[in-house]
Amino acid sequence: MSSVLDVVLSSAFLAAVLRVATPYLLAAMGGLVAERAGISNIALEGQMLSAACTGALVAGYSGSVAAGALAGVAVAVLLGLLLAALRLELGADAIIAGIGLNLLASGGTAFAVYTLLDDKGGTSGLRSGTLPAVTLPGIEDIPVVGDVLSGQNTVTWLAFLAAPFVAWLFYRTRFGFHLRAVGEMPDAAASVGIAVRRVQYAGLALSGALAGLAGVFLSMGYVSFFVRDMTAGRGFIALAAVFLGGLRPWGVFLAALGFGAAEALAVQLGTLDVPPQLVSTIPYALTLVALALYAWRRKRRGAAEVAPASL
Amino acid sequence: MTTTLIESEDRREYKATRRRGLVVDLSMTLATILAALVIGFLVMLATGKDPIAAYEALLTGPLERSFRVGRWLEDATTLTLLGLSVAIPFRARQISLGAESQLYAGALAAATVAIFLPLPPVAAVIVPMAAAAAAGAGMGFVPGSMKARLGANEIVATLMLNAIVVRVYDYLVNGPLKEPGSSAVHSEPIQPDSALTPLTEWLGIPFGRANVGFLLMLLTAVALWLLITRTPLGYRIRMTGSNPHFAEYGGIRVPRAIEWSFVIGGAVAGLAGAHLVQGVYGRLEPGLAGSLAFEGIVVALLARNNPLVVVVAGLFYSYLRAGGDIMEQQTDVGTEIVVVIQAVIVLLVTAQALPDLLKRRLARRQAGTSHKRSGTSDKRTGASHGKADAR
Amino acid sequence: MNESWDPAGPAVATRAVTKTYANGVRAVRGVDLDVPAGEIRAVVGENGAGKSTLMKLCYGLEQPTSGELLIGGRPRVLRGPASAIALGVGMVHQNLMLVPSFTVAQNVVLGVEPGRRGRLDGRAAVEATARLAEEAGLAVDPLARVEEVSVGMRQRAEILKALHRRARVLILDEPTAVLTPQETEDLFAAVRRLRDGGMTVLFISHKLREVREISDKVSVMRAGALVGTVTTADTTERSLAAMMVGREMSLDVTRAPARRAGTTLRVRGLAYAAPTGQPLHGLDFDVAAGEIVGVAGIEGNGQTELAEILAGLRRPGAGTVRVGDTDTAGLDVAGHRRAGVGYVPEDRLHDGAALDESIADNLVVDRHDRPPLARRGILRPAAVRAHAERLIEDYAIRTPDPSVPVRALSGGNMQKVVVARELSAGPRLLIASQVTRGVDIGAMRFMYERLVAARDEGAAVLLISADLTELLALSDRLLVLKDGRLVGRFDDTTGLTEKGVGLYMLGVEHHERAHLTAGLDDTAGSDGTAGPDNTGPRDTGPRDAGSGDSGKATPE
Repeated sequence: MSSVLDVVLSSAFLAAVLRVATPYLLAAMGGLVAERAGISNIALEGQMLSAACTGALVAGYSGSVAAGALAGVAVAVLLGLLLAALRLELGADAIIAGIGLNLLASGGTAFAVYTLLDDKGGTSGLRSGTLPAVTLPGIEDIPVVGDVLSGQNTVTWLAFLAAPFVAWLFYRTRFGFHLRAVGEMPDAAASVGIAVRRVQYAGLALSGALAGLAGVFLSMGYVSFFVRDMTAGRGFIALAAVFLGGLRPWGVFLAALGFGAAEALAVQLGTLDVPPQLVSTIPYALTLVALALYAWRRKRRGAAEVAPASL
Repeated sequence: MTTTLIESEDRREYKATRRRGLVVDLSMTLATILAALVIGFLVMLATGKDPIAAYEALLTGPLERSFRVGRWLEDATTLTLLGLSVAIPFRARQISLGAESQLYAGALAAATVAIFLPLPPVAAVIVPMAAAAAAGAGMGFVPGSMKARLGANEIVATLMLNAIVVRVYDYLVNGPLKEPGSSAVHSEPIQPDSALTPLTEWLGIPFGRANVGFLLMLLTAVALWLLITRTPLGYRIRMTGSNPHFAEYGGIRVPRAIEWSFVIGGAVAGLAGAHLVQGVYGRLEPGLAGSLAFEGIVVALLARNNPLVVVVAGLFYSYLRAGGDIMEQQTDVGTEIVVVIQAVIVLLVTAQALPDLLKRRLARRQAGTSHKRSGTSDKRTGASHGKADAR
Repeated sequence: MNESWDPAGPAVATRAVTKTYANGVRAVRGVDLDVPAGEIRAVVGENGAGKSTLMKLCYGLEQPTSGELLIGGRPRVLRGPASAIALGVGMVHQNLMLVPSFTVAQNVVLGVEPGRRGRLDGRAAVEATARLAEEAGLAVDPLARVEEVSVGMRQRAEILKALHRRARVLILDEPTAVLTPQETEDLFAAVRRLRDGGMTVLFISHKLREVREISDKVSVMRAGALVGTVTTADTTERSLAAMMVGREMSLDVTRAPARRAGTTLRVRGLAYAAPTGQPLHGLDFDVAAGEIVGVAGIEGNGQTELAEILAGLRRPGAGTVRVGDTDTAGLDVAGHRRAGVGYVPEDRLHDGAALDESIADNLVVDRHDRPPLARRGILRPAAVRAHAERLIEDYAIRTPDPSVPVRALSGGNMQKVVVARELSAGPRLLIASQVTRGVDIGAMRFMYERLVAARDEGAAVLLISADLTELLALSDRLLVLKDGRLVGRFDDTTGLTEKGVGLYMLGVEHHERAHLTAGLDDTAGSDGTAGPDNTGPRDTGPRDAGSGDSGKATPE
């Protein structure tokens, strides 16, 4: 076991946690914003995937990493708006529409890559580069902290700023205030003259932007190319973090960080004798238990209020 | 949404309206598929491909050779079972996304029995399948009872179970169940007696890996249709999905109906796993199901959760998948366009207000054109008169 | 905000305003209302008289089908609440429109928050709320979460919300329904202070005592129309009640006197407590086979809770309920149905039917697993269909086919489906809640005949209704519920008038406990043996009921 401890306590591992957690943190914040606006965004996965693909392709063809990142985020925003429109204008079920958008992203990205590059796997043939790392002067001289923070990607820094940003947005701005009211009690919001739909569109656009950033990081930070279906279920895990974190920015932050840490640990343990797949199930099992406990508690509390006999 | 009152007591008139309604629904579905195909056509055109050649391969390819037909039927079997597995909880208005975990649990159970448990010939086929159904049912019971008894969100619960089971499966295939001494990652093959008989053997025509599982799938669909329409449990599931307050008021135990819908769906998804192990691969392979589990949801949606229609939708959907592969081999269009087409179908189907919107627009236009038409028909009769005169 | 007002004109007025809903219901018919600035105007009427709809029109939640709306003396078109708010109209809804997880202050400022450049100034919100509360005399804790404060404080927060928007017209929709007497006092004091500051208040209520206490003038509505407007000082509760009640269309039901045969429903010490909904306090009553017992009361005084407890949808907190020989208090819905309880729920759209399912399926929910409909675990569609055809015939449900979804039926026909199902089960006890709500006259008459027929076949019928005319026409005996307690019991309904019963419903009069429990066996304190029939004291009508000695009853 001491070898496990050695791994966990190494600064390389901590740096890996930050890197691995980045997409979870961003996507989970995106999921949180949508959820609090009253529309479940199960399309996080598709938004990340589309952004990752668009980012790598645009960066590769234009030679500009910034243009790639912007294009990636823009596509994810569009998908967010599309989900909102399907829900709000066409009466679609948000979950099923989200599944449809995920399919669209999965097929669309693979089709685009194959059509443009004649490559089934991804864009590794295209030189698209990565987003720059942040180097803070003097930080590398600090022991441990320097090792952990130095050379982290810009998006990783953004990911860790996302939680305070969303918290600030929710609790300190008029927009966030309206968004929370709209998501919790649309009738009350409408009765005081808030344009409920407009707020929901804006919320879903922001949700898409955050998920898009997560996707851009995957293909332009984590690695420097797009691989087919490279999100590998991260969007769904992020969604679980939203619920596990109790729909609050810092709770979701911790849950997403936990998922990231567990995955990083699983990767590290792959070099040792512990089966990494089993380690990586831990956060999901915990989520499942937490979900049950949370529901049980709410039911107990609710039971005191109204007690329909047969439920 | 406005509903029209049906108060007339003329049964013949009502039946005529109902037939008309059915035709409208059917044509809506066809229009949806057609619209999706048109979008695919445009995408190909926009990306500089030859859409006509591509669609020719896509739409006629799967029927050109018997082994291609076999590939289609084999794929349709798994996909339809997965579609059926979500259609049942959907009938109780439960959004179960757990087909993936149920399928893998079923595959593991079927493989374990079929590899390690020596059984007499017929039992060697049936027992692994029963084990798979039981394992899938168990995997459905967990989120089902969490939802029914505690009110825990079934979407999150099923997604978490998927994540867990997929990883455990991966571990088992890479570890304890990996074929000893083999360099490839897969399990030992199942005992020959446990294999589902290939259709090739029966029909004497090369049918690829298509097997008796296809017939079992058809039987399952009929059984589920009977369950939903002809049993008290099916009635309870339907009423629970339609209006849980009404079901409770009528004396139905709503939580139990919800649980059953999950358990039945899980068992069917487990069978899909057994089909992959005993009929298709003959062993456990990593990533056995691919993206099939989510595509099952599409099939169920397209079929509006009617088990018999799920078969049609499953066959259609697999046909597109099979055609996509052939299209990719024969032209430079990637098979992924099929996924795009499928996605467009889902989005169009879920946009529930869309048909109403169209219907209203149609009704308005009809009201407008009926005027015009009566005008033009007058003219036409006038013209034909003129012609007759001229003659 | 507060676009130009014409100081000379009325604060709020309607000119021949009519509202017809898409389903053809005409909720408001040609109403001319004129409320000058600085007046407290009560709008009263029975449930469904159109008060709430009229107010929704004034707040932009609904748009009039025809007619004109004036606010601040000028004709206006309200596209939504936002335009009403901009014109200075505020409304406190019956079900409060607050965000539960927000604090009182946050709710007060929602929509017009203090703060610059998109930022939210929480401290300013708290200060503004505290200042407004102080000025208006409405005590609130600005920092408390709404979900954790009392209903009274929630309501005060709603009023502050309107004040924060500088409302000049305040609409209060049944504000006292959820308040304690002390809270009501405080509310009235605050409302008067607001009026003295120039506020126009529209006060919707059917509690006449409160109306008399708070309002300057009263407008009475009946069946969607304005019956009249009177100066409060010139009215009495009785004169107002006379204007409110009564239906022009009388539906006389011919029925023979009840032939009672033993107690079917026996309720003792029934109590129910819940933070939401009306609690019940120690109810004791019997319903005999072969009689219709009416339950009168203003809505929300415990009728829903009582009906749902008796049907098994809620569990009682204390007390016993027996149906025939079965103790049903601990049973689930299916157990209640097995014991012979039929229930026509008050809201058929909510739980009385599965709207998207066929008539045939809706008719079998309580018997789908038994012969002849199901045999050996198989549901027989032919039997289900035949069953439906028979009931469609017997209950004159107008439809071409049993496969028609219930959603496609009109209100009266839909209710016939519910009644057909419940009555065809042959219940020992039928709980009929608001049976004729929203149905046409023809269906109404049909329901009445069926209820009487069920009674004559030996069913015990508990008839719960907000319609006094209906109760008096059908009930052999009548109970009155007020605040979850039985306050009146009339063992003979001949000669009873709506006004007389209304006094009990409004809490002006009440019977003594001894009278209420007379003749019941096993109640706390008394130990009678016989059923309620004929042995209980007779109440001969409103004149008697009004006098002090009517409550005197001698337990045997």
